Amino acid sequence: METTNANQKYNFEVVRWFSVAACIYFVVGTLLGVYIAAELAWPFLNFDIAEISFGRLRPLHTNAVIFAFGGCVLMATGFYSVQRTCGVKLWSDKLAWFTFGGWNLIIVSAVITLPLGLTQGKEYAELEWPIDILIAVVWLSFSANFIMTIANRKSSHIYVSNWFFLGMMVMITYLHVVNSLAIPVELFKSYSIFSSVQDAMIQWWWGHNAVGFYLTAGFLGIMYYFVPKQAERPIFSYRLSVIHFWALMFGYVWLGAHHLQYTALPDWTGSLGAAISLAMIIPSWGGAVNGMMTLSGAWDKLRTDYILRFMIMSLAFYVMSTFEGPVMSLKTVNALSHYTDWTIGHVHSGALGWVGMVAAGALYHLVQKLWNREMYSVQLVNLHFWMATIGIVIYIVAMWISGIMQGLMWRDYDEFGTLTYTFAESVAAMHPYYVMRTVGGFIYFAGTVVMLYNVVMTIMGASKERSTQTAHAQA
Amino acid sequence: MSDQKNSTHAKDTGHTWDDNLRELTNQPPRWWMISFYLSLAWVVVYFVLFPALPLANSYTKGILDWTQMKEFQGDLAELEKIRAPFETRIAKMPVSAILGDKELSNYSVQSAKVLFGDRCAPCHGNGGAGNPGFPVLADDDWLFGGKIEQIHQSIMNGRRGSMPGFATNSTPAEIDLLAQHVLALSEGGSNPVGRNLFVNKGCAGCHGMDGKGLEMMGSANLTDKIWRFSPVTKDSVKHTISHGVNNAMDKNTRNAVMPSFAQQLSDAEIKKLAVYVHQLGGGK
Repeated sequence: METTNANQKYNFEVVRWFSVAACIYFVVGTLLGVYIAAELAWPFLNFDIAEISFGRLRPLHTNAVIFAFGGCVLMATGFYSVQRTCGVKLWSDKLAWFTFGGWNLIIVSAVITLPLGLTQGKEYAELEWPIDILIAVVWLSFSANFIMTIANRKSSHIYVSNWFFLGMMVMITYLHVVNSLAIPVELFKSYSIFSSVQDAMIQWWWGHNAVGFYLTAGFLGIMYYFVPKQAERPIFSYRLSVIHFWALMFGYVWLGAHHLQYTALPDWTGSLGAAISLAMIIPSWGGAVNGMMTLSGAWDKLRTDYILRFMIMSLAFYVMSTFEGPVMSLKTVNALSHYTDWTIGHVHSGALGWVGMVAAGALYHLVQKLWNREMYSVQLVNLHFWMATIGIVIYIVAMWISGIMQGLMWRDYDEFGTLTYTFAESVAAMHPYYVMRTVGGFIYFAGTVVMLYNVVMTIMGASKERSTQTAHAQA
Repeated sequence: MSDQKNSTHAKDTGHTWDDNLRELTNQPPRWWMISFYLSLAWVVVYFVLFPALPLANSYTKGILDWTQMKEFQGDLAELEKIRAPFETRIAKMPVSAILGDKELSNYSVQSAKVLFGDRCAPCHGNGGAGNPGFPVLADDDWLFGGKIEQIHQSIMNGRRGSMPGFATNSTPAEIDLLAQHVLALSEGGSNPVGRNLFVNKGCAGCHGMDGKGLEMMGSANLTDKIWRFSPVTKDSVKHTISHGVNNAMDKNTRNAVMPSFAQQLSDAEIKKLAVYVHQLGGGK
């Protein structure tokens, strides 16, 4: 059997562990999200306990979904697809296990330090300097293993998914190291070497590119391996993948400044960011076009293949949010949208829609390959698909309404040239939408629980089957 | 998206990975390529129009001559044009005259609504309804006076009442008696023993012989049912008597400080706020 051979040929054990960890962190990360969403809707849920207040749990939520969930997905799919597309075993098994242990150690340190309030105060880079160093080391161990496996490859050319993974590895190393440069003063206290507006600029250069290279390039790598695999179709256009790959790599890195429009940032920096942002719509869409066209002639598969549905829906959300983001970066739109919930809605259409759904699709595919059996319940995969889709739609619609309402309330003035609404009035107006967002988020979270259950049942069934086989073999 | 374009017979690059991964040699869709070049053109156009490129010691300014500061000042000027006929008069007039002018007081109330909501309501509550530890502004009971000039003073310079703590020079029994007297005062009665203490300990010096308080000192009127510190219990009254108010010698003292807004708000804004507070219901 193909998979049995593959099991001997490749190191799948570390991939299995990363996959299971990813499913668990999917549940944990979204649960934290639901809780902090509920805290915004019903502030008594802070219970006057600093450790579980919104300000402490919010970075834990973002770290859990981006680094714990996203990271484990990238490492599972990266280690899996690089072996298969290169036709060789991982360069170093020991290093791969170091990556697994190290990455989870980082996650545990985040769970301890963030609720205690130990933070650098940089968004998506909250973890203090000793953990930052560990992140750099573990990330490099992942990258080195990946690169050396490619160096050992049996195929003459490097497959497209690997370009995207490589692009991510190079850029995230660069971004993480520069943004985290700091002078330590205590074990868990440091000061950034950048100050004031330069610090803000470096922070958002990192902040946006964590989205651009980690959550976009990395997950495009996933898309380029798992969509054609699941659909059993060739990639639509090699040329398209080359052009949009290089356009993204060179373009994305300029966008960060669009987070700082109308601030102390110099005028030229903001408009540079805005101009390139809008120019990134088409390169971003290149990946979606290539993914969707890969299905052309095989659209009927969507009727029966629920895993493929996850992937195609994720591309639809990808198209939507890579259009929405550049529009929001334009000065006129940004003047309305900045500091409002619209931004939160935008991030979540990308994170829940694109990242979450393509990851779920890839993980379902992986679980079947790794444990060499069908999913425990195909109906539950379908249920998860609909819960995720409905949850996202409720979430982003709530945030569109509340965000645009906030923006309009804050700038509205009456016939005397006076602001019409107090800030507190805008907060009160948000309440119904905060409740709605919590509901949407809860449905999405409940979907991840369904997924975890389905995956666990599949694996348990697999191990039962495997042990009977072993028993037969021995008898 | 015809089937032929992506049929298994379409030309591929000649490479196969992982048994069945292939890439076809299709050209990118025409609309995509055209939009891609338009995107590049957009960047060039934007760079010409707006400040965009760093130079050695400066940056390109763009032919639209746009800056965010100019945009902000333009928007502000638009609002100031609407406000100007009122604001120029408010700047010159004393606050009592503004209150007397129907048009200006109406403008002030409208204009100060958000100021009050953002700056004052966090402590004094929506519409001046008060909060535990923070006085109601919508009734006619005032510590420092409810005339428009007095309200203006309160906002401009802040207020900081003070009351010594009596725990150091009184016995618990005495404090209990004082509390009984103060509670009785608010019911229109009196406690004969407590009343003597009230005079002897010097309470009357600030609160007056009748206990009605003195605006000059910001001392509370003890003869009504409006209380500065809640909850209204004997223990709470005893706590105030024991530890005083804003008494630097005692860390258990009551804190009751109204900050000064002279540094945070303009003169006109403070005038408008005074008019706003005055019309909340209790202005004198």
